[in-house]
Amino acid sequence: GHYVDDVKLADTLTVMFLRSMYAHARITSIDTSEAAHAPGVVAVYTGKDVAEKVGPVPCASAGAIPGLRIPDYRVLATDHVVFVGHPIAAVVATDRYAALDAFDLIMVDYEELPAAVDLEEAAAGGPAIYEDYGDNIAYKLTAGEGDIEAALAGSDKVISQRIVHQRLAPIAMEPRGVLARYFPGEQELTLWSSTQIPHLMRTQVALMIGIPENKLRVITPEVGGGFGSKLNVYAEEAMLGWIAIQLGKPVKWIETRRENMQATIHGRGQVGTLDVGCTNDGTITGLRWNVLADMGAYMQLLTPAIPTLTGLMLSGCYKIPAIQINITGVFTNKVATDAYRGAGRPEATYVVERALDLVAAELGVDTVELRRKNFPKPDEFPFKTATGLFYDSGNYEAALDKALGMANYKALREEQRKGREQGRLIGIGVSTYVEICALGPSQAMPAGGWESATVRIEPTCKVTVMTGASPHGQGQETSFAQIVADQLGVDLNDITVIHGDTAIVQYGIGTFGSRATAVGGTAVYMAVEKLIEKARQIAAHMMGVDAASVAFNEGKFSKVAARAASAVATEVPEPMLPAGQAPAGALPEPEGDGKQVTIQDVALAAHLAREIPPGLEPGLSATHFFEPTNFTFPFGTHIAVVEVNRDTGDIKFLRYIAVDDCGKVINPMLVDGQVHGGIVQALGQALYEEVVYDEQGQLITGTLMDYAVPKAAMIPWMELDRTETPSPVNPMGVKGVGEAGTIGATPAIVNAVVDALAPFGVRHMDMPLKPEKIWQILNQQN
Amino acid sequence: MKIEGTQEMHARRERVFQALVDPAVLQRCIPGCERLEQIGEHHYSTTLRAGVGSIKGVFTGNVRLEEVQPPTHFRMVVDGKGQPGFLKGAGTLDLEESDGVTLIKYSGDVQVGGTIAGVGQRMIQGAARMMLAQFFTAIEAEAQTEAHEEPPRHGSFRTALRWFSGWLRRLFRR
Repeated sequence: GHYVDDVKLADTLTVMFLRSMYAHARITSIDTSEAAHAPGVVAVYTGKDVAEKVGPVPCASAGAIPGLRIPDYRVLATDHVVFVGHPIAAVVATDRYAALDAFDLIMVDYEELPAAVDLEEAAAGGPAIYEDYGDNIAYKLTAGEGDIEAALAGSDKVISQRIVHQRLAPIAMEPRGVLARYFPGEQELTLWSSTQIPHLMRTQVALMIGIPENKLRVITPEVGGGFGSKLNVYAEEAMLGWIAIQLGKPVKWIETRRENMQATIHGRGQVGTLDVGCTNDGTITGLRWNVLADMGAYMQLLTPAIPTLTGLMLSGCYKIPAIQINITGVFTNKVATDAYRGAGRPEATYVVERALDLVAAELGVDTVELRRKNFPKPDEFPFKTATGLFYDSGNYEAALDKALGMANYKALREEQRKGREQGRLIGIGVSTYVEICALGPSQAMPAGGWESATVRIEPTCKVTVMTGASPHGQGQETSFAQIVADQLGVDLNDITVIHGDTAIVQYGIGTFGSRATAVGGTAVYMAVEKLIEKARQIAAHMMGVDAASVAFNEGKFSKVAARAASAVATEVPEPMLPAGQAPAGALPEPEGDGKQVTIQDVALAAHLAREIPPGLEPGLSATHFFEPTNFTFPFGTHIAVVEVNRDTGDIKFLRYIAVDDCGKVINPMLVDGQVHGGIVQALGQALYEEVVYDEQGQLITGTLMDYAVPKAAMIPWMELDRTETPSPVNPMGVKGVGEAGTIGATPAIVNAVVDALAPFGVRHMDMPLKPEKIWQILNQQN
Repeated sequence: MKIEGTQEMHARRERVFQALVDPAVLQRCIPGCERLEQIGEHHYSTTLRAGVGSIKGVFTGNVRLEEVQPPTHFRMVVDGKGQPGFLKGAGTLDLEESDGVTLIKYSGDVQVGGTIAGVGQRMIQGAARMMLAQFFTAIEAEAQTEAHEEPPRHGSFRTALRWFSGWLRRLFRR
C-alpha cells in the first residue's frame, strides 16, 4: 500500500493544528509571537490570518432543508470555539516535534462558556451555542405519508419506546492526512488527501481558497478505510492547500489518533421516541419516530442530511400504511456528526426492527411470523412505501427462509426453551432488513448521483479503466477489472483500474452509500459496451463484411448469419458467468465463412488507423456517465444467537447467520469481506462502542484505550449465504453491499440479547449492551 | 473528579498548618512546582511542571486560600492551564491533633479538560493520589522541623525514602 504519509517530497514542512481544549469558550486573545520565533518554526497562522482568505467549510444541504441554520464554520476559529478539538492555529515547522513544542508558546486566553452537551438538554433550552440563533435548534423537518394520527388512533395497540443511538467514532485505521505542493510558476496546487471524494473535494477546496478548479489536482493514494468519515471536505484540507501557496514549499499534516477522535466526524447520535401501532392479528398500522438528531457544533458536508435518510427507510421491509418522522436537528458542543457506515439507515432499521420485536412481545407472537405477515410479496414490486420510495425489487421471504433453514430456527427455539429450564439465558434475535443503496439518482442527491468511467483499449490491447468512484479498501480494482475482462474476453491481468487522481480521471462523484459497483461499475460496463460497438465496426471493415453480421464473443469478432448477429448485437450479455459456461441463449456458432479477428487485432488497427472504416474516429476509448433511474434496495436476514452469562452479564455468541441479497455478485470474496466488516462494526455499536463527553463537553473516550473498538476475540464465526434478486435499475443487476452488515446486524444482536433477558421482563435496552447494564438487570430482578 | 482522603502526620498541628500555608514551603513540597509567588493575601501565582502518564507539560495558574482558620481549617481554590489541558478545583483541609499526631482530612472537586481529560482520564485518580502522597510526605518532613531550623531538603529520592519509611512505620504499628 501507498498512503498519503508514504508520499515523501523533498523539503516538506510539517503542519500541526492547535485545538481548543474547551467545549465552548470565547477566545479573548491569541499571542503567537513567541511561537513564531521558536526553533524550527516556519510560520504560525491563526483565524485572523485566514478569515478573509479561506472560505467556510461547506455543507451540501444548504437550500435542501427548509429553515436550515448553517453556522459560519471557518477553517480556524477566530473568537469562538464550539467543541473540544476545534482548530485555533496552524503551526508550520521543520518537523512534528518543533511544531508541538511551539504549541507551548502560543498563549490563548479563553473565557469559558457553559456548554450544551446533553442532546435532550440542548434541545430543551440549554445554553445557546450561537447567540444570534437564540436556541440550539438547527432545523425541524417532518416527512412521511399517510394519516399517522388516525392510524395510531385506530390501532388495537400502540407501543411507545424511547430509543437511543449513541454517538460512534468511525475509526478508520488510517487517520486523515493531507500533503500539499504548489508550483508558483505554473500556479498549480496538488493535494494528496485521504478522502473518499477526490473530485467533489477538489471543487470545494478550490472554491474555499479561491483558485481555479483546474489548477488544483487532488490525488488520493491508497486510503486505509473511510466508513463515511472521509466523505467530507475538512478545514485541514483547505488549510494545507492555502499554506502551501503561502510558503511555496510542500506541507504535510498527518492526523494523530487523538485528533481523529476529537475532530473527525462522528456518526449516529439520535435520541427519539418510537410509536408503533398494530392490530391484534399482528398487522403493523403505523409508525412514528420523533427524533432529536445530534448535529454537533456545526455542519460538515452532509450533517443535517443524515437523519433525513433515517426518515426514508422507516418502512423497513414491511407494508406500513402510515409513517411519520419528526426530526429536530440540535446543535451541541461536540464535533459534527455526519455519514458513518450506513449513514442514517442503520438508525431506521434499528428502530423498525426493534418495533417489530416490541410488537411481537406485546402480542405474544413469534417474531419471525410477525415479520413474514407484514412483508410485501415478490409480485408487489416495485413496492411503494409510505416514505415515498419505490423499492426496485425484493423477495424478503426467500432470504428469511434461507436464514431460518441455516439456523434451524425451530430447533434453536427448542434449545432456548430447554436452556431456560436449566437457567441458561439464550436469546435469538432476527433482523430482516432492507437498505437504500447505489446512491443515487441525481434528483435525490446534493451533488450529482451519477458516476463516470473511461475505458481505453491500448494498441497492445492492454485495457486502462478510469473510474470516478474512489475505492478505499473495497477492492473495486479487482471487481471492475472482472467486469471488463468478462465483457472483452481479455485477461484480468491485462486490465489496470485507475482512480483517485483528478488530473487523470474524468470528473466523478466518489465512493459512499454502497454506490461504487452499482453506479460506478455500471458506468464501466456501459463504456465497454460503447467500445465493443466501435470495435465491431472496425472488425467488420477488416473482414470486409457488414457490421450487422459480426458477432463478438470471448474476445473474438466473427461473421455470423445476419439474423443471428442482429439478435446477438441487441442482447445484454450476462457478464458474470464463470469461464467456459455458456450464457443463457448462448451465441450461435459462427456459420459465416469462418472469418475472425480478435479484439487484439482490432486494438492495433484502431490505433494504426489504416484499416478502419472511413469517417470513423481512430483510437479505442470511450467514456460513459451513468445516471441511475432509481436507488437499489438490497435486503436480507440476520440471525444472532447469544447466551448471557448470569454471573457477569457478559454476552457470548453461539451462532451468527447472515443471508444478504445484494443482487448479482461480481466477486463473492469481496462481498463476504464487506459483510464481515459491516457485521463487526454493527457488533461494535450493539455491544461496546460509545463516544462519551463529560458534562463540560470534554471528550472522555479520546483514545483507543477508552473507545472500545471490537477486537478479534470478540467477533463470532459468521455463517454467510446469499439469495440473488437482480436489480432492474442497472444492466448488471447489482445493488451494493458496503453497508449491509452495519444495517442488518445491529438490531439482530440487540434483539437477541433482549430475547435472552425476556424472562426478566426486559423489552428494550439501549446500546451499547455492556455487561454492567445487563448485570444490573439480572441483579435487580433477583 | 472527587478527591477525598485523610493523612496522618507525625508533627504538631500548628507546624503542619504553618507549612501548608507558607508559600516557600509549598513551593518546595508541591511536586513539580517551579514558581510560587505571592500576588495578594493568600493569593499566589504558580508555575507547575506536571503530567499524567505520557501527557506532560507546564501549567501556569493561581492558588487562593480562603476560610483560613489557623490551625484547623482552610479552603484552597486552584486553577491552571497549560498545553496538556487545564484544571480547576476547590477543596477544604481540616486538621485535627491527638497525641502529637495531626490528622488531615481533605475533600475536593477537580475538573480537568483538554488532552488530560481525553487521554489521561483513566490515570488521573492514580496520578493525583501519587502527587498528594509526595506532597504530604514532604510537608510532614517540613513540619517536623521547627521554624528557626534549616528546612529539610526534598527531591524525588528523599521523598520516596520518607514515604517508604512512613509506610514501614505504619506497617509495623498494625
